Amino acid sequence: MSVEFRDVVKRYGTTTAVSGISFTVETGSLVTLLGPSGCGKTTTLRMIAGLELPSEGRILIAGRDVTRLSATERDVSMVFQSYALFPHMSVLDNVCYGLRRSGHSKEAAAQQARAGLAQVGLAGYEGRQPSELSGGQQQRVAVARALVLKPSVLLFDEPLSNLDARLRRQMREDIRELQQALGLTVVYVTHDQQEAMAVSDRIIVMNVGRIEQEGTPRDLYERPATPFLARFMGESNPARAHLHRLDPQRLRVQLGPATIDIDNGTASDGEATVAVRPEAITVEAAPGPANALPGTVVKASYVGTHIEYSIETEAGTLFATCPQVDRPLAPGAAVALVLAPRGVIVVESR
Amino acid sequence: MLLPWYALQEGLDSGAWLGGLWSSEDYGSGFAEVLAQGKWWLSPALLALMGCFGLSLLPIPRERRGTCLAFVAGAGVVLFAAQAWGIGLRGWTAGWLTALFGEMESRQVGIGAGAAVALIALLSLLSIGLALRGAFGGDAFVAGAVTAVATSILLFTAWPILRILLQAFQNGDGAFEPALVIERLSAAKIWSLRCLSGSGRCGVAWNTLFLAVACGAGTTALGLAFALIVTRTSFRFKKTLRVLTVLPIVTPPFVIGLALILIFGRSGLVNQLLEWSLGVPPTRWIYGFQGVLLAQLFAFTPVAFLVLIGVVEGVSPTLEEASQTLRADAWTTFATVSLPLMRPGLANAFLVGFIESIADFGNPIVLGGDYGVLSTEIYFAVVGAQLDYGHAAALALLLLVLALGAFFLQRRVVGGRSYATISGKGDAGLPVPLPKGARRWALSVALPWATFTVLLYGFAFMGGLVKVWGRDYTPTLDHYIKAFAIERSASGLIWSGAAWNSFWTTVTLAAIAAPLTALLGLLAAWLLVRQRFVGRAALEFATMLSFAVPGTVIGVAYVFAFNIPPIEITGTALIIVICFVFRNMPVGVRAGIAAMSQIDRSLDEASATLRGRAPQTLIHVVLPLLRPAMVGALVYGFVRAVTTVSAVVFLVTAEYELATTYIILRVINGDYGLAIAYSSALIALMLAAILLIQLAVGDRRLGRRAAQLQGSRA
Ligand SMILES: Nc1ncnc2c1ncn2[C@@H]1O[C@H](COP(=O)(O)OP(=O)(O)O)[C@@H](O)[C@H]1O
Ligand SMILES: [Mg+2]
Repeated sequence: MSVEFRDVVKRYGTTTAVSGISFTVETGSLVTLLGPSGCGKTTTLRMIAGLELPSEGRILIAGRDVTRLSATERDVSMVFQSYALFPHMSVLDNVCYGLRRSGHSKEAAAQQARAGLAQVGLAGYEGRQPSELSGGQQQRVAVARALVLKPSVLLFDEPLSNLDARLRRQMREDIRELQQALGLTVVYVTHDQQEAMAVSDRIIVMNVGRIEQEGTPRDLYERPATPFLARFMGESNPARAHLHRLDPQRLRVQLGPATIDIDNGTASDGEATVAVRPEAITVEAAPGPANALPGTVVKASYVGTHIEYSIETEAGTLFATCPQVDRPLAPGAAVALVLAPRGVIVVESR
Repeated sequence: MLLPWYALQEGLDSGAWLGGLWSSEDYGSGFAEVLAQGKWWLSPALLALMGCFGLSLLPIPRERRGTCLAFVAGAGVVLFAAQAWGIGLRGWTAGWLTALFGEMESRQVGIGAGAAVALIALLSLLSIGLALRGAFGGDAFVAGAVTAVATSILLFTAWPILRILLQAFQNGDGAFEPALVIERLSAAKIWSLRCLSGSGRCGVAWNTLFLAVACGAGTTALGLAFALIVTRTSFRFKKTLRVLTVLPIVTPPFVIGLALILIFGRSGLVNQLLEWSLGVPPTRWIYGFQGVLLAQLFAFTPVAFLVLIGVVEGVSPTLEEASQTLRADAWTTFATVSLPLMRPGLANAFLVGFIESIADFGNPIVLGGDYGVLSTEIYFAVVGAQLDYGHAAALALLLLVLALGAFFLQRRVVGGRSYATISGKGDAGLPVPLPKGARRWALSVALPWATFTVLLYGFAFMGGLVKVWGRDYTPTLDHYIKAFAIERSASGLIWSGAAWNSFWTTVTLAAIAAPLTALLGLLAAWLLVRQRFVGRAALEFATMLSFAVPGTVIGVAYVFAFNIPPIEITGTALIIVICFVFRNMPVGVRAGIAAMSQIDRSLDEASATLRGRAPQTLIHVVLPLLRPAMVGALVYGFVRAVTTVSAVVFLVTAEYELATTYIILRVINGDYGLAIAYSSALIALMLAAILLIQLAVGDRRLGRRAAQLQGSRA
């Protein structure tokens, strides 16, 4: 069921945690709230759950105005960052808790709870105490506990932040699979850009209480609308460049002696800062091709899958990643940089 | 409305009111009083009630209905309060009201069951209305709980204290005379400093201050010595020292004073020994400043110990180790790092001792002799021959100001510069052992002291087992028999002992009060920690404030506030129970807050998103996790109710006599044997109660580890 925010503001005393945001989450989609720590993601999520009431604006769930309803009265479940499993109840009792509160009989609740636990791969763990489970298992119990209520909207607040890296990938795939299989409407909060891109249908990027940009993962990565986004979604190098429009669709970007023609229908002519993705830079030994940007290697670090270079050029110091690990370049080496048009982004144009 | 509106002389259980609900002025229900007796001023409250029920039937949107409900019920509450305080036994209660509305020939007594139900209904409707509007997170239960806690604190803590203020400004006839308070407060009896020049006695205010400063300093030094020994030495009997901390909780405050009399009193051991060996005539040396101070030092050192042990443990060993790696030896480290780190804690302990001392009533009344302090002076002003309420109120005001002053100072000390370095992170490092000198000092102070404490309790116990202390040391059980005799007769057991009456009253009232105390305290704690609502800070402040009000002040305040309508309960058991509950509730709140802040807040929130309403969350999630705190609050509420003196000494009557006040009266009459026997029995009972409850409940802490690890939300 869809969730809709209309000009929602949340203040705590004098600080404003969320300052006027509007968005819609379509039924059956997974939307991620992404942003640096303290930008208001959790606050937004808690307002959907009804754990905080907004200071201004309206919140609609499935078309119904729920702005003043308490958490209990909303058809929403939440998986907490700390899992919030009740430590004095067994796994089964934890999963039964919501069912019992919504008026199911003891047997019916236990039956559904078992099914829910099986769904997350925890059949057989019913009698354990939460303290006898690993972090990943606790996480699954928390998911099962929220899932068995068949809520219109399921909320996740940084569900993976307490897990180790390997488990994190596994869990996020499981969550995505479950969401698609059951057609759930999910709002997911994370500060990890990769995680967000991996699980989401759409991403809402927030910064200091506002929505910075909203779109599909590909939209945001390839067409970030602000310098903040270009920096936040993956790495990028800010570089001074001169822009020159070739035709309504094409734009020529002049970076020192190098010229790159990119698809762009909005930017106007003149000086601008562009963002250059490190993986779009091919590092070649000087002199290189005619259209390359010359530079000098300042720093090189070998990190296994690739080599990271800092390279001083006419357009500023650029950070580049180079998959050719067998021909490392020493600091001081003269190089030529070839820039792929896909990785050169004009962001200051609005 | 099926209950009599006004309070009944003979109590509800007599049933006499059933026939008079409609016709009698005394027994009438609210509607009858309005319609048949023409008491129009009751109608707004009743109309508001009916209006609310009408409103809830109307099909209007949620928020509109909430607004209307809140408004109508709120108006009902205000008008109810206005009539209750505005119209008293003799018509209008204030001159300007008479001037405004004309002479009132009618009268009204205190509110009864009917009025109480009506008020509660109005308050509930007000909370529901506010919740419908989205206040209190839209939760009617939370709204109701906040209203209930706030109203009860207002009625039973804030109002009585306010009443003292008023009383201090009034003359004997109740007229308002601002100049009077200045006159009362500037009396020589209060402020005289003649004792310093050796030409007479000092005023009670100075007496109180001198005593409190000495007591604060003494208990802090002693407490520090004990704390250092327990945490920083390899002293073998640490566990035993910890037992000392339980003693003051189970001991009625004057027992120490009694024991001191047995040793140092006119016919005490020391005097007798001196007379026998050196022919020195017995002195009354113990009665006065020295005696009271000694008793207070014994009584309150454990409290200081409790405060300081936290402080000493809070000094991070890592800092001390750091100091040692920087070339400082043990003594330098102790003097330049450890002690300065403890300084706020020491100040706190001092203030705690100070506050305890000025609030103490039992020891000064037993040992003070001519050395009057504020709390005893207030007592004599109320129950003595003078019967000067205005004087009592003025003194109570002074005591209150002193206590609150110390309290705020303490809050500043604790709040502002706490260096406590305990953190969730495992603090590696071993506490540095005490340097030799400090160790020797601590041991030489603490050990004799501990020995003497044990001796005191021993004598206190033995005093009940001999015929007449000082004259006839024949062992006997006479005192116990006199107090606790049970005779068998044809009609069953006869509780013929002198103590049974007060004993059962005490136990019954304490048993009624303890669960209420725990419930109200934990409910308030839950609201304060877990809910966000307008006025939260004010509520927290009010509960904390009632910590600081000395019992004597509360007792006097209750007498002033509740012996006239609208709440007329002086002389009943109800007022004693209420006094117990509101005296001890702050401790429940504090325990609840401490326990609750260890439980991750997201557990409550998880329950809410899982369709658990606030009361269900409370029952299924919060209370099971709070069990240890709950038991603690229960035991504490009970024990404190049994051992308290200062507040209830004003409230007891012949019908409802309490154990402690009974004992005090025995002591004042010089009947030490019975008093001591009774006290020992009480202490034994309290210890047994604590042990029993501990055993029965145990401290199962299921999976607390996990709950505590899941700390903050990011
Ligand atoms: N209960 C609160 N009281 C005051 N300020 C708060 C409260 N909760 C959050 N904030 C503030 O609101 C802002 C957003 O917080 P939050 O939504 O938790 O951020 P995040 O995006 O990291 O989840 C932060 O600046 C935080 O300090
Ligand atoms: Mg967060």
